[in-house]
Amino acid sequence: MKNFSINHRKVETYDVLELTGELDAHTASQLETKLKRLIDQNQHHIIVNCEELDYIASAGLGVFMAYIEDVRTLGGDIKLTNMNPKVYNVFDLLGFPTLYDIVQQEEDAIKKFEQDESN
Amino acid sequence: MSDSSFQQKDRQSRFELTTLLETSRMLVESQDMEFVLNNLLLITMGKLMVSRAMVLIHHPANDTYEISKAKGKDCPNEGEHLTIKFGEKVRDKSVIRCGIDEIDLPNILPGDDHCTLFNLQTSNNHIGFLCLGTKGNKQPLSKHEIEFIESLSIISSVAIANSRMFTELRRINRMLDRKVYELNTLFDLSKDFNIMVDRQEIIRIFKFAMLGQMLIRKFFFVLEQDGKQRLVTTSGIQKEPSSDEIDTLFNLEEDLVEVDGELADQIPFLKENDIRAVIGLHFQNEKMALVGVGARANGEAYSSSDYNFLRSLGNLALLSIQKTYLLEERIEKERMEEELNIAKNIQKGLLPDPIPQHEKLDIAATNISSYQVGGDYFDILETPAKKLLFAIGDVTGKGMPAALLMANLQSMLHVLLPIDISLAEASNQVNDIIYQNTPSDKFITFFWGIIDPDELTFRYVNAGHNPPLWFKADEESPEELQEGGLILGAMPTMTPYEEQQIKLSPDDLLVFYTDGVTEAMNESATEEFGEERLLKCIQEHRQQTAKAIEQAIIKEVRSFSNGQQSDDITLMVIKANR
Repeated sequence: MKNFSINHRKVETYDVLELTGELDAHTASQLETKLKRLIDQNQHHIIVNCEELDYIASAGLGVFMAYIEDVRTLGGDIKLTNMNPKVYNVFDLLGFPTLYDIVQQEEDAIKKFEQDESN
Repeated sequence: MSDSSFQQKDRQSRFELTTLLETSRMLVESQDMEFVLNNLLLITMGKLMVSRAMVLIHHPANDTYEISKAKGKDCPNEGEHLTIKFGEKVRDKSVIRCGIDEIDLPNILPGDDHCTLFNLQTSNNHIGFLCLGTKGNKQPLSKHEIEFIESLSIISSVAIANSRMFTELRRINRMLDRKVYELNTLFDLSKDFNIMVDRQEIIRIFKFAMLGQMLIRKFFFVLEQDGKQRLVTTSGIQKEPSSDEIDTLFNLEEDLVEVDGELADQIPFLKENDIRAVIGLHFQNEKMALVGVGARANGEAYSSSDYNFLRSLGNLALLSIQKTYLLEERIEKERMEEELNIAKNIQKGLLPDPIPQHEKLDIAATNISSYQVGGDYFDILETPAKKLLFAIGDVTGKGMPAALLMANLQSMLHVLLPIDISLAEASNQVNDIIYQNTPSDKFITFFWGIIDPDELTFRYVNAGHNPPLWFKADEESPEELQEGGLILGAMPTMTPYEEQQIKLSPDDLLVFYTDGVTEAMNESATEEFGEERLLKCIQEHRQQTAKAIEQAIIKEVRSFSNGQQSDDITLMVIKANR
């Protein structure tokens, strides 16, 4: 198995997924399984912390595309935080910033969630 | 001119020069259009005390002027497009003073018929106009002021052109980055798919790569498997297409179909899921799959380069999927071969090994299968009465079915051996059982006989087998052992099999063989080995041991067919010792 792992923790009512390593064709299904499980458990305020994410391939991006609509339909969102410039560049290149909230810190994501709620 | 007014003028022109110099440095260094335009307006307005000004940028494609930046009360909105036909004459001029020059122009600034237009241009390009409203003191612009703004306009024009070029470069760079990323994706996936053997995994990764690379939310993938087209994966699709709809989609002639109203009406599935394009995928020149994609989530339309990418990725996935099928076939084939090898060993075990010997007889026998398993059979068994039973048979056909029937015959023989019935009676029973148990196109040619070594008698039944040859010690030509009855398994025993008994003498020779010997073909497949060659070969080696005669025949057949064997070869040679 490639060097990739997901650490799941709770911050307040939010589910934070910390991605570590390389998210590519071989590891994309791990993220898919995780997201599916959260959605099945009605957990749809999801923060993906990318601080330790070294690389993302288009298959990894595709997982986000495949589940964002489900999550939003349920009134939640997936927000991405702490991206290193290399990883952000890939997201940016493919136009993700127009569709996803990509913010600096987890706290920023929580603030955004709170704003979303009050709107 | 007084001293003080001269000083005043000097100071003023120095101030203007400084302004121009600073502005030019600032503008030329900036690659930000917004910044350039803002400065142009602010400096102009402050310097001339004009309360309204704006920058019009020319769009050559439709010959309109966009209000790119506007400052002051009651200006038209930024972003608005004006269609004013200035004509080449106006565009050649560097300054146009409305209400003063002999040019008829509509009011560009509402309620102001004395605005001034400064041409923003580089040496080869008209960029647009700087449009100034009337001065606060209603005075026309002085020659000096006009010169100053003209200079500022030239500097700004260069800066605008620079920033445009920079923007264009950035756009191209980004496009190249995207292309590089697309190529990387294809490259990485071709490596990834290569080591994947799980079709579902390939299909899933293919889907995610499509979604991620193109920002797609709605996606479906139809694959032809075993001649049937099936929906194998989707994303964001509400209702699956009917099999009729899949059929219609698959039969679309073009490989790239952008969904239009007509097609959407024809296939409601496309409409319901807002599918934008359907792309056919090929494997070895045959359409084997198709993908459908919805709109891109960033609102951009698909470019032809995007479609190319989708098609390349799709064909790559299809190729990898087909490869898994071929791999499975190969594994299955290897498994079959493995099983055949086991069967071959089992079958070998059914034949006597070692060949039983007897002090009064010289016995040799061999069986060479052409296929992994075969339908030839021979056996040499000792009866309860210490006599020797010899059997030889040939099941029609080859391979597994023949081998199964051969094994069946072998077990019947072994069961019947201790039972005290005649060969003829046993033949009747064996025939009935085989007739009942096998399809009508399966027969066995069979010969068996029992030698009493002490008496040198040989009782036999021939059920349609190539007649064994009996070479008497003192005769040149053999006799054929024909008597018996019909081939086994062809019909129920109506006429019982008949037994025949012959009396052997020392040095008599019996040769049993299957048609693999006499029907062996020469290399060009034009001639059979035939009975004559067999006869001649036996006669030439007549005086040798049974083993030597057997080997001489095998060698002769092999050299005749040049090593090409198309049927099982079985041979049994028995010589009565002197």
